[in-house]
Formats: sequence, C-alpha cells, structure tokens
Amino acid sequence: MNAFSPRSGLRFAFLSATLLTCLSGCSSNSGSGAPASPTVSVSVSGGSSTRLGATTQFTATVTGSTSSAVTWQVSGVTGGNTTYGTISSAGLYTAPAVMPSSSSVTISATSVASASASGSVAENLMNPLPVSGSGTATQVGSSLNYLVDIVGSGFVSGSVIQAGGVSQTTTFVSATELQATVAVASGTTSLAVAVVNPNPGGSTSSVLTLPVTYFSTTATAAARILDQTSFGPTTATIQHVQQIGIDAYIKEQFAEPTTTLAAIPSSPLPAVCLANNTAYPCAESEWWTAAITGPDQLRQRVAFAMSEMFVVSTQSVAGQAIPQLHNALANDAFTNFATIMKDVALSPAMGAYLNMLNSNKPATGQIANENFPRENMQLFTLGLAMLNQDGTPQLDSSGNPVQPYTELQVQAFARAFTGWTYAASGGGSAAKFPNGTADYVDPMAAVESGHDTTSKILLNGTVLSAGQTAEQDFAQAEANIFNHQNVAPFVCKRLIQHLVTSTPSAAYVSRVTAVFANNGSGVRGDMQAVIRAILTDVEARAGDTNASYDGGHLREPILFITAMIRGLGFTNTDVNGSYESLSNYSTNLSERPYRANSVFNFFPPDYMIPNSTLNAPEFGIENTATSTLQMSLADSIVNNKITSFKVDLSNTSALGVLAASPANLVDQLSMMFMHSQMPTNMRTAIINAITPLTSNAQRVRIAVYLVITSSQYKVIH
Amino acid sequence: MRVHRRGFIKYASLAAAGNIAGLRPFGALNALAQSGSTDYKALVCIFLFGGNDANNMVVPYDTKGYSNYSSLRANLALPQNTLLPLTPLPNFALHPSLPDVQSLFNSGAAAIVANVGTLTQPINRAQYLKGGIVPANLFSHPDQQEEWQNAAADGATPTGWAGRISDVLAGSYNASATIPMITSVDGDTLFCNGMSTTPVSVSAGNVGGGSCSEGSECGARQAAAQSLLTFASGVSLVTADNSITSNAYSYDAVLTAATKSVTPLKTVFPANNGLAAQLQQVAEIIQVRAALGVQRQIFFCGIGNFDTHSDQLTLQASLLSGISPALAAFYAATQEMGVAGNVTSFTMSDFARTFQPNSNTGTDHAWGSHHIVIGGAVKGGQMYGTFPTLALGGPDDSGSNGRWVPSTGSVQYASTLAQWFGVPVAQLASVFPNIGAFSSNNLGFV
Repeated sequence: MNAFSPRSGLRFAFLSATLLTCLSGCSSNSGSGAPASPTVSVSVSGGSSTRLGATTQFTATVTGSTSSAVTWQVSGVTGGNTTYGTISSAGLYTAPAVMPSSSSVTISATSVASASASGSVAENLMNPLPVSGSGTATQVGSSLNYLVDIVGSGFVSGSVIQAGGVSQTTTFVSATELQATVAVASGTTSLAVAVVNPNPGGSTSSVLTLPVTYFSTTATAAARILDQTSFGPTTATIQHVQQIGIDAYIKEQFAEPTTTLAAIPSSPLPAVCLANNTAYPCAESEWWTAAITGPDQLRQRVAFAMSEMFVVSTQSVAGQAIPQLHNALANDAFTNFATIMKDVALSPAMGAYLNMLNSNKPATGQIANENFPRENMQLFTLGLAMLNQDGTPQLDSSGNPVQPYTELQVQAFARAFTGWTYAASGGGSAAKFPNGTADYVDPMAAVESGHDTTSKILLNGTVLSAGQTAEQDFAQAEANIFNHQNVAPFVCKRLIQHLVTSTPSAAYVSRVTAVFANNGSGVRGDMQAVIRAILTDVEARAGDTNASYDGGHLREPILFITAMIRGLGFTNTDVNGSYESLSNYSTNLSERPYRANSVFNFFPPDYMIPNSTLNAPEFGIENTATSTLQMSLADSIVNNKITSFKVDLSNTSALGVLAASPANLVDQLSMMFMHSQMPTNMRTAIINAITPLTSNAQRVRIAVYLVITSSQYKVIH
Repeated sequence: MRVHRRGFIKYASLAAAGNIAGLRPFGALNALAQSGSTDYKALVCIFLFGGNDANNMVVPYDTKGYSNYSSLRANLALPQNTLLPLTPLPNFALHPSLPDVQSLFNSGAAAIVANVGTLTQPINRAQYLKGGIVPANLFSHPDQQEEWQNAAADGATPTGWAGRISDVLAGSYNASATIPMITSVDGDTLFCNGMSTTPVSVSAGNVGGGSCSEGSECGARQAAAQSLLTFASGVSLVTADNSITSNAYSYDAVLTAATKSVTPLKTVFPANNGLAAQLQQVAEIIQVRAALGVQRQIFFCGIGNFDTHSDQLTLQASLLSGISPALAAFYAATQEMGVAGNVTSFTMSDFARTFQPNSNTGTDHAWGSHHIVIGGAVKGGQMYGTFPTLALGGPDDSGSNGRWVPSTGSVQYASTLAQWFGVPVAQLASVFPNIGAFSSNNLGFV
C-alpha cells in the first residue's frame, strides 16, 4: 500500500505494517480444533509516519463479517481533531498543523458490525519539510545588521534560519514566514540562507542566495538632507544618498557644475515670454527648470536662499537682468561670501533695484542715493543691532540694542557707492555717466565722472581718503562691511533658517559662525566650509534619528511646488518646454521667483508667529488665505490639473498598483515625502481614510492629498 | 531685559490663540443681525508699503508756499498748474493723480492729517538732536511699518493696535460672529494680531478658494485632512501650522456659505488694480456682515512699491493713480450698501521721504508724513494736525535733508479712529499704552 503525502509531494516507502489486535476471544482461536464460531476482527494497515499537515491513507481489513464498514479514530477521538489530526471515513489521515505534546498518535478502526472488534496502529508525526521560496535582506538603519525575511512553507515554531551555515535567532512569523536579524561582515554583498526544521523529521531547505546592499545612510537621513539641500527628494536621490552617505553627497554636490539660466534677448523675446511681451516670465521658466531638473541641486538651493537674502524683484527690474544675477549667485554659492557680496552689488539687477545703478555724485542741494547702501547693511550683511557671535543682539545698559551703524555712515557709504552704471557693450566702463544703454549681461562698471571723491568715514572709523576712484571706494567699502563682526552671525543664521531650521540654538549659530570667521585655514567667509558646517551640525542631523526633534522650518510655497513636481514625477508638456506656469501657482501663495513685493523678501527673516516666541520666517506668508489656496493647489496636483505638466497617479501607476494595500501605499508616501517618519496616528488615519475606497487611483489621490496638506509635511523637520 | 523685536517676548500659547476665533457653525446669527440692526462700524486700513512721499501728495498751493516748495524740491517739484486744488483748503493742493480724493475732500468725505509719525512721546527738533526718546530704528522700513501697526515704541510689541481693539471689543460686539473681527486681504500683519485675536486672511477675489475634485468623497477627504491637524506633535512649528490650517478650513467654509448667493454690488471697481481688488473684497464681506454675525470689523489692505529712491515722479504718479479710483469705488460701494457713515478708511505708511531730492531723481527714508481719512463719518474738508515748516535744517527737520519730526503721533491718529469705532476712553490705555504721553487722545477728524 502506498502512503502518499500530497502536501509534501514525497513518496514513502511501501510499508507492510499490519497488526492484528487480539481482543478477549482471541486466544481460543489458536491451535484448537473446536468448531469455529464466527469471530470478527479488524486489522489496520498504512504508513508509520506522517509529516505535519500531510496525509496518509490507512486501510482497515475486517474479517469474520460481511460488513467491512469501520469507524476511524485518532488517539481515541472519532474522526480525529485539530490536535491529533483528522481522519476521513475512507481512512485518509491528515496530520495536525502543529506538533501535539506527544509526537505519536494512534490510528484505530472499529467494526461497525461488531463494536468490540477493532484494530489499530501507532503513527509517528514528523515536522514538515521546510521550503524556502523567496527572501529579502533589509538593512537595519545604517548598521551592518540585516533583517532576513524568508517566505516559503513548512515552517514550524522551532524552525531556524541559517545564514552562511550559522544558525540565527529566528522569529517564527507564520508557517510561511520566518525572520532573523543577521549581522554581516563589512563588504558583504550576498547572504546564503536556508531553513532548518527540528526533529522529529528534521530537515533542511534548499539554499537561497539573498543580495545584500549596504547603505551607509538610512532612508530617513537621506531624505532629510535632501529636503535641506535640494528642491525635493525623489526615490532615486534618496537611494543615491543612502548609498554614498551624507559627506560624499555634499562633496559630490560641491563639484557639480552650475546649471546656468540662459540670457534673454530683448528683441525678439523668446516664445515663452513673447505672449506677455515682457522678459520676466522667461527668467522664471529658466529658474524653475534649473531648480527642478538641475543636477546641481545644492548649488541651486543655496542660490535660492541667497536670492531671498539679497532680494531683487522683477516688479521693478527687467527680467533680462535676472539670469546674470542668478548665475552669479549659483556660481558663487561655493566660493567666498565676499565674492557673493561683490557680484551681487555690481549686478545690473541689484543696481537697478536698489539704485546703485546710475547713482551719481550729489549736486548742490542733493544727497547721494541711500537705498543700496542702507539695505546692503540693514538687510544683507549687518542688521540693525550689534550681534554676538551666537546671533543674539548686544544690548546697552538700558536694554536697547546697540546699533551697528549711524545715519551718517549710511550717507558716507551712499557717496562711496556712486559712479556705477551699465557696462559698455561687451563689458568694461562706458564712455559717459550715466550709460543709458542697458547691459544686463555684464556687471556694472564705474565711470569716474559720476563718482563722489570726497573722503568718507565708514564702520569702525575706517576712512576712505579723498580722491579715490569708484573701484577703490567700492572695494574698500565692501571689505569694511565684510570684516564687520556682525556679518558671520547675521549671514549664518539666515542660511541656517533657509536650509535647516527656523529656530537654531545660539550654540548652533556659534558653531557655524566660527567656521565663517575661520575655515580652519585662516580664511573668512569660505562658503563650502559654512555650508558643510550648517548641514552636518548635530542640530541639523538630530531629526535623522528623532522624528519629533523640535526644529525645522515651514516649506515655503516655491519649495512645496518643486517638491511635488520632483517627488511625484510630473513631466513637462508645454510646447515650448516652459515651466513658467508654475509661477501662477506660487503667486497665489505669495511667492514668485525673483518677484517679491519688496526688498524685504516674500517673508521677513525676523517674523514671529503671533502669540508665540517662535521666529519662523516662512510663516510670514502662511495665513488662512494662503493655507486655503495651498489646499486647492494640492487638489489640482493630485488630480493632474497642473497647467503644462502631467503626472500619472492612475490605477496602473506605480502608486496605483501599490494602493492595493493601503498600508504599503501610505508607507511609500511616508518614504517619499516624510522621511519615513510619518507618525503612527497619522498613518493609521490615512489608511483608514482610503481603505473603503474601491478605486486604487482615488486611494492614491486622497492619500497624497492628506499627506501633502498636513502640517507634518508642510513643516520640513 | 528688553530686546528688539516682537519675538523675544513671551505670550500665551499658540493653541489658545487658535481657539480664540470661537468658531460656531455657520448660521448661528445673533439677534441684532437678524433684526437688521444698523449698529455696524468698520475701519479699513490702507497701508502704503515702502514709505509714500507725502511731500508730493499734499503740496503748498499759495504763491509763497509753492515757491518755497518748488525751489527745495527742485527736479522733483510738481508743476503748480497740474496740482489739484482743495476748495475748503485753498493754501494746499493734491497730487495730480488723486482727482477722486480731491472730490471726496471737497465734498467733505475726506480729511488730511498732517505730519503724523511714529512717536514715543512728543518731541521737537532740538530735543531730537539732543538724543531725546524716539521710537527704535527710525528710517528702517520693517521697524517703522511695525511701529505704525503696533502703535508702540518699537517693533518688539507683538500685537497690533487693531488686534488689541479686537481683544477689547470682540466679546461685546461680535459675540455671535463666525469669523474674527479682523480680516486681512493682504496677508498676516502685526496690525491684525492681538493677545487673544488672530485675523482671518482672505485672498482678494478668492473667497471660497478651497476646492475638492473628489465628488462624493470630498466630505470624507476634508474631514480626514482636518483630523490630521488635531494630532499632537512634538514639533512646535507643526503645532503652529495645525492651528492656522484648521482655521483655514473653518473660515473657508463660513465665507463660502455666506457669500454663495449674494447679489453682486452694482458699483464697478477699476480692473487691473491691486488695491481696488482688495477693497472690492472688503466691500463684499461688509455686504454679508449680517450673515457673519459681526457688528464691528477691521480690515487690512496694502499695496507696495512706494520706496521711490529713483524715478519718483513717474513711479509715484502711477501708484497714486491706482489708489484714487480704488478709493472712489470703495466709498461708492459703501454708499450703495447704505453704510458710508459706518465705514472709515485711512492710510498708513512706513514714513514720508526726504524733502531734499537725492541724485537719482528720488527721495530717501524720512519720518513724519501726511495721511488721508475717508468716510461718511469723517469731518472732512479739513486738515488736522500741523503742517511742517518746509525748510531743510528748519524747525521741523530732524536733520538737514527734510526728514520731518512728526508733530502728531501715529498713536494719536490710531486712538482717534479707535474711539469712533467704539473703544471707550477708559480702555484707551489698554489699547494704546503710550497715549498718556500726548496731550490729546482724539484729533477730532471723525
């Protein structure tokens, strides 16, 4: 008789294990010639062992009766049960799923015609054969530990995962899944794993080879630094930073060449801005394109921050002037702050915006234009109070801030900065002052006839001698400011606020300020050193391992939009490749690239959230009106209604497929948008909100909407 | 320790601020509103960001005065024959781009308040030059904007005077209101925030801006989105944004419902005019005041680009020519709604500009300025305050470039408006802590 186990697919040896069970009258049969009275007996035959969950066919042979019908029992229970296994009326025994306390059961058959006649056989139970179907090895954090997860069949609570032949502490998840945390040696690229089931019937599965990818950086840390240093993380960039680590990523970005904005010819205007008959939409399209698609993300992001510190606006400056300024900011982003100061001051854009352009030596009855000189100190470099190196204001004995400069010094700088006008065509000084022919490509150039040559007393009593040229006065005046003690704390705090957190501790500002003052090689204003100090500071990285670390800053509207386009993978559909439509969305939210309402930027750096002690600049444009409009924008985003762009969030999109499991979808969105740090209560609420929806596309739309409109997302932290 | 800027002062928790609006379901109208009470007053602030050159807005018109003006203003002097004369005030005229203000003034619905500026206490040139007490950071845009808005000695006071008026009056006048007393159509500003007051911000022309494309699932989606805003967070800024975003959902629903089936005003506002769009939005909210349950409202509007360091003649003319018809349309709209006498509009601005021109056909930051007040309740056709002596280095100059020492404090200007609005004299000091330093708390123009 063949005992065949359909579950395991294995064939057992033929067994002849017939046992006769002698009941009370049995002995009388032996050796006597007495007339036979009809004696009913039952013998059972079948296998001697069965693996858990498998089956064995038993046969009962009834002698002494015309009826061959029997009743089957397993360990005394008619028909068996889940503990000992079950047996059908035809004698097919199914072993239990879990090993009972004893690994042996008794299979018995009792004659229906004669209840006293029965036969039985002992059956040994064995663990199933483990089958390792597939597996993964997922790095735990940034460690050398990997969570090995094997999915297969035939697993029992005593199953052990072996990795490289070594038994691991194994977690029994279910009969089809086992897990173990495995420590690997550095440089390991694959892991051979197998499952060993214990006795009785102990057996080892075939070997699976799992690829091991080492990430020096967690997905959380990678996504966080990308939110601080790019225009929005993407799945690809997160993985890249995970692979190379934060330090290497910063180095790589420092080396990335500038994505430049193309110059905008005045006539004829490019098609992108021809319809509006003005250049600024072209500048905006160029800017959005570089921000969203440029590989020099950190450079562009720092340039963006700088553009919000050294503000010009196309509300009063020609759009043609923007590429020159922006390219200077991007080119200078990793040089020296003194270079940035100089290039900004001499850009035609800043010149036109704050009137250093064509600022003439004052005639009798006039004063020199104070606009650039005042804001250059108040808004760009020094501020209105003497600062300690930790960014806190210095106070006099009455508790009032000590002013870093006087009205007379403003007027002195105003005279020092006279004499600059548009460069001659192709660069260099023009023939006359002022030069009425606009040159938006080259820095402004001095014409001495427009320069005030009287002496000037600047900060810290520095005197510019009478008779100096415009270039000499300019260079010395800028150096005078650059070396002022306020510049480091003033600039560093603002950069920290733009890139990392609105509320840096004084100690954090101090640490970065010290690097600004001296990069370690005696250089002041080294931007690479400053940026690295900002990004790698313990306060910048604290959130990598503590999701509720109190810090961060509100995602300003432009960064919200770029993060959506990059993160969700929108593609441009405009016939001219224009990205300018994005400006209309950001304008609704009070931002438009290089088009602030005033030199004070879209939001003031010292903005305080009302009734709080929180200095949070971006909140200056977060109110019930803009918040409502941002929700509407989010609705347009998830419904693929962004002009000139398209995105696929349908049932068949990657997210749509994932949406079959609401939890998997939400976890993916957490990785893409929330550094894999979505709070549990939020995760549960979103899963609950989308689970009843029958359309996977709608699950995606609503889940994304809920994520991107949440304050947890809006505040980068 | 007294530290510069609003932020260093500790105040009530943000969570409390978020709840102050006391939202109720739309439709809970108060009895007065339902009975059509006419006890309604609104203040409308029009902030001219950047520092309007009032020296060219109100110009001496008599022969001697104009001649002095013309010689000092030189290439920035407006030709006398382009100025708009004021019938009840023959020695002064208005900028040629303000014909509607001229009409309102001549008809008695507008007044001029001369040489108003930020002051801690009265001060003159001699006292100033000797280092007398003045507000912090004169001539700085952000500080002077804040000091006009908070009517305090420096930018560090974290509440605005409209916010503090609301703190005092909202309970008695707007007990059943479904939106805050203060509405800004130009973003969040210090002016609008009180100790227990936060404003509703509205994007002009975008009331009911919240949209949802999910059909029958919209209700569930919006509810889920709002539920996420209720979760406690260890991150302060998340908590702060939860409060703003929650209010955004609530106010959007209230305003959408209130304005849904309103007959549009007949008054035509000028197109492509930023201030006109804001004032039209203000008018449309005033129109549904009964549905909103408000008896007192303060509105904040603002337009920018008044920082005319160069090319001033062209730039200021362009700016003022936008303001003039916007003000006229708004006044007409209040007449159409029958509330012209219940609505008072007024200008504020960072500061005036140097009387002496700079070398770029522009002017630089100064101090005392002239302002305009408009409304049916205004005792118009007059100039209030004291017009400065237009002399460089003269008795009203803080230096030598024509930066006038204000003869009237902006806090007096504000206090006058507040009393008309309903702040009892007994409570003036709680709204304007500095008012006691001045001889008068009411300039009498309204």
